[in-house]
Amino acid sequence: MLNHAIKYEWLNLLRDRWVMILLILFLGITVFAVRNGKEKVEDRMATITKEKEKMVKLDRKMAADIDSLNKNLKPAPEAWKDPRALDNIGWNAPRVVAMDAQPLAVISTGQSDLFTHYAKPKIYGEAYTLGFSELSNPVQLLFGSFDLAFVCIYLLPLLVLGFSYNVLSSEKESGVLRLTLAQPISLYQWLFGKLLLRFFILTSIVVASILFSLTIFDIDWLGNRGAATKLILLVTVYIFFWFLISFLINLLGNSSGSNAVTLIAVWVVFVLLIPSIISQTANSFYPVPSRTIMIHEYREAKALAEKKADEILKTYYREHPEYAPKDTTQQNQYSWWLGNFAASDVINQSVQPVLDDYNEALNKQQSWVNRLRFLSPAILLQDGLNDLAGTSPAHYTDFRDQVIAFADTWRHYFIPRMFNNEKMQAEDFGSLPTHSYSSAQVPSHYPADLMGLLFFLTLTVAGSVWVYRRNSFENVLSV
Amino acid sequence: MILKIALKELKEIVREGRFRITAITLFALLLAALFVSKSYYTSVNAQHSEAKKNARSEWVEQGQKNPHSAAHYGTYAFKPKYPLSLIDNGVDKYTGVSIYLEAHKRNEAQYAAAQDQTALSRFGDLTPDFVLIFIVPLFIILIGFNAFTRERESGTLRLLKSQGVSTWKLTMGKWLGLFLPVLLIAIPVYVLAALFLANIKDYGQFSLWALTLLFGVYLIYYAVFINITLFVSSHFKKSNVAFVTLLGIWMVSCLAMPKISTAIADKLYPYPTQVEFEEQIAVDKKKGLDGHNPWNTEAKKLEEETLKKYGVDSVQQLPFNWDGFLMQEGEKHTADIYFKHYQLLKDTYVNQTNVYRSTAALSPFLPTRFLSMAICRTDYTSHWDFANAAENYRIELVGKMNGDMAANSKYGDWDYLADDKLWSSVPDFQYEPASYTTVIRQNTSNLITLLAWLLLSFAALYGAVTKMKTI
Repeated sequence: MLNHAIKYEWLNLLRDRWVMILLILFLGITVFAVRNGKEKVEDRMATITKEKEKMVKLDRKMAADIDSLNKNLKPAPEAWKDPRALDNIGWNAPRVVAMDAQPLAVISTGQSDLFTHYAKPKIYGEAYTLGFSELSNPVQLLFGSFDLAFVCIYLLPLLVLGFSYNVLSSEKESGVLRLTLAQPISLYQWLFGKLLLRFFILTSIVVASILFSLTIFDIDWLGNRGAATKLILLVTVYIFFWFLISFLINLLGNSSGSNAVTLIAVWVVFVLLIPSIISQTANSFYPVPSRTIMIHEYREAKALAEKKADEILKTYYREHPEYAPKDTTQQNQYSWWLGNFAASDVINQSVQPVLDDYNEALNKQQSWVNRLRFLSPAILLQDGLNDLAGTSPAHYTDFRDQVIAFADTWRHYFIPRMFNNEKMQAEDFGSLPTHSYSSAQVPSHYPADLMGLLFFLTLTVAGSVWVYRRNSFENVLSV
Repeated sequence: MILKIALKELKEIVREGRFRITAITLFALLLAALFVSKSYYTSVNAQHSEAKKNARSEWVEQGQKNPHSAAHYGTYAFKPKYPLSLIDNGVDKYTGVSIYLEAHKRNEAQYAAAQDQTALSRFGDLTPDFVLIFIVPLFIILIGFNAFTRERESGTLRLLKSQGVSTWKLTMGKWLGLFLPVLLIAIPVYVLAALFLANIKDYGQFSLWALTLLFGVYLIYYAVFINITLFVSSHFKKSNVAFVTLLGIWMVSCLAMPKISTAIADKLYPYPTQVEFEEQIAVDKKKGLDGHNPWNTEAKKLEEETLKKYGVDSVQQLPFNWDGFLMQEGEKHTADIYFKHYQLLKDTYVNQTNVYRSTAALSPFLPTRFLSMAICRTDYTSHWDFANAAENYRIELVGKMNGDMAANSKYGDWDYLADDKLWSSVPDFQYEPASYTTVIRQNTSNLITLLAWLLLSFAALYGAVTKMKTI
């Protein structure tokens, strides 16, 4: 009997033009969203590729110059242009440290519109001054991008609600419910069956639209089946959550209008209010420490260290006898740089506490916000999608750390060679340190996000059971 | 008659549980937003004045230095926060708060708050503008979607007609019935905001006039939403359909249109990336005068010209320090380059703004958003204005340093040191924001679009209700 009822429900839906409209609408929206994401990722990768090509070209030119200088085919240039001088290589031929896009980066812009995706650390410079902010119109940042994450977080629930808010009430209002219930059928099984059917239809549309859009924009989701499966799983659970909410509200037995209003209220609370309240309270309870004050402390510490630079340098050489000039008869051509490195090391050490304090305060706020994300399925989905796309704040923090670490590697490639008063050779370009980006060490939020969403599912199921137990059959039937 | 209908509507709305819950929630949200924003504003302002004081003392107490080294050491310009940002924080979260002012280089504002926050902040913050611009229209839809459909569904519309009430009067009554509750919530918020703002110490730029203007803009926005709500309600037979349609309209105009416009603006007039921008500047700099590099072609040319002008044959014989003079000429040159490139960037930004202004025809949200930010001085234009002022100050500061070096030291004498007398002779950075007349002038198009929305939605409503069928 139930099968019969569901079959008719299916036929009914099939003949409903709304299903068709929904399909086309959602497909259109998804294609547009993925296209926007694709464009951003393409720009990002194109810039990185261009920078890397430029770097290779410069390397080649410098190697050729060194060759002809060594063979005396060219007059020696001014010292500050000579490619044989290691400091010129370290300063003028920096490596491109790039944050390559993850395969599924198109699905969520995340924080990617705030930061640049590569840096060129030089042999000298302070970590905190490395700029990562991208040039952009802040209005665009305020409005956000129309990406797949937006479609899933904001629009999908509304589609679900539009598709299901009157699933029971309309039957009741049209009087069909009494007829249906005259059959040997359980109201709840039947209602759940109806919703499940809609869930399968909508989920199929959503999954097909997403995979179709990814395919037409050449995103290799088949090659990244793991990530693609995770994406589909997360979105499916989110859709299911909203269907269950709808099931719960329908069970209360109110009119279609009242259901619609209640469901929208739930949407507003989960998608708009809770995230904005958490975000705002985070700013009030755990304010991000002022960068401006940090800069001041940094500059003060630096000025102090600079004043004592000579004295500091002497102690430094005492502690690092290997760095002290060995052959005092021969002038090291890099002596200015070497002094500078030693001084900047000392300065960096003395200002490190300022940076550490700042980062600790920052971490406090972020971990607090991270915990509170379990209060809304919308935040969980956003977090999970950013995690899959590799555009979460954690990914950018990690990238910055990688850049700082590479800056150190870069410097330490040159320092010992400079102490030996070596010169750059053409073949050395092959052995310069290189960086390859990996996001493997970023702790994944995905499992926790998925668990959080499943927790919300359980909660809604429990709520439904509670309503079911409390509500009498007549209550539901009464119009 | 209209008033009677309005009172009847109002009574009906107020008696409904749905209204009471949402109205109380809305009011509570606005209050909470106002309080939270106030504490945020106060702490940011305290940080700002401390930072400003620090920057000044750092500059004045930097000790004996060569003036040009002092210009390299530089100082910071801090963007002030204005009282009305308490209502609408605009793009402030995404623009930096401080600009580092140093010799040879125009820096972008650094340390945008959004960069240090988690991705959560991208959902938006619970600030008054969030409630005013997103939630209140939803509230209007919630209390008004069945204004006509309810009468139609219960058959009372026919009864009303038979009583001889003109549909327009009925509509006006219903209109007021929706507008009054909105006003009921908006007025206390307005009064509270005014009290808050008037009680903030050093409120400087706050004017009641601006706050009133801001609320006027929001009231027009709400009137547009009331018109749309009643239009849709009069058009459909069923409340459900009217509700879903209105929700769709809200979603498109408040959530989707801003993002779609952004995608269009970005596609048509893309911003250069930070690195592209810097490289274009670097290319121009290389071509021109380099103050630190006397072997530079342009520098050689300038040297010849200057020697000729003063009738001497070496830079040592010049009545001023050639190094300082050269550096200042180089500075002027780089300032011109920055000006040129920032002008190009500004053109892109203006083009993007024009895209938003044209898409505003499709969403009343957009003109309201821009007007609100502009009045609160938290829009992008205000940021540009500040950045330009900081740049002018930088040019002046560096010019003074180089000028002092040129006038008071000899060529090649890099040991010349100036002291705090020179440092404190540079006035502190003071920034006066653009006047409200300018702000209004810059936003005329937004104002016109919003008013057009008001008039056209009224006209549409009028057309719809006069042709309305009672069944």
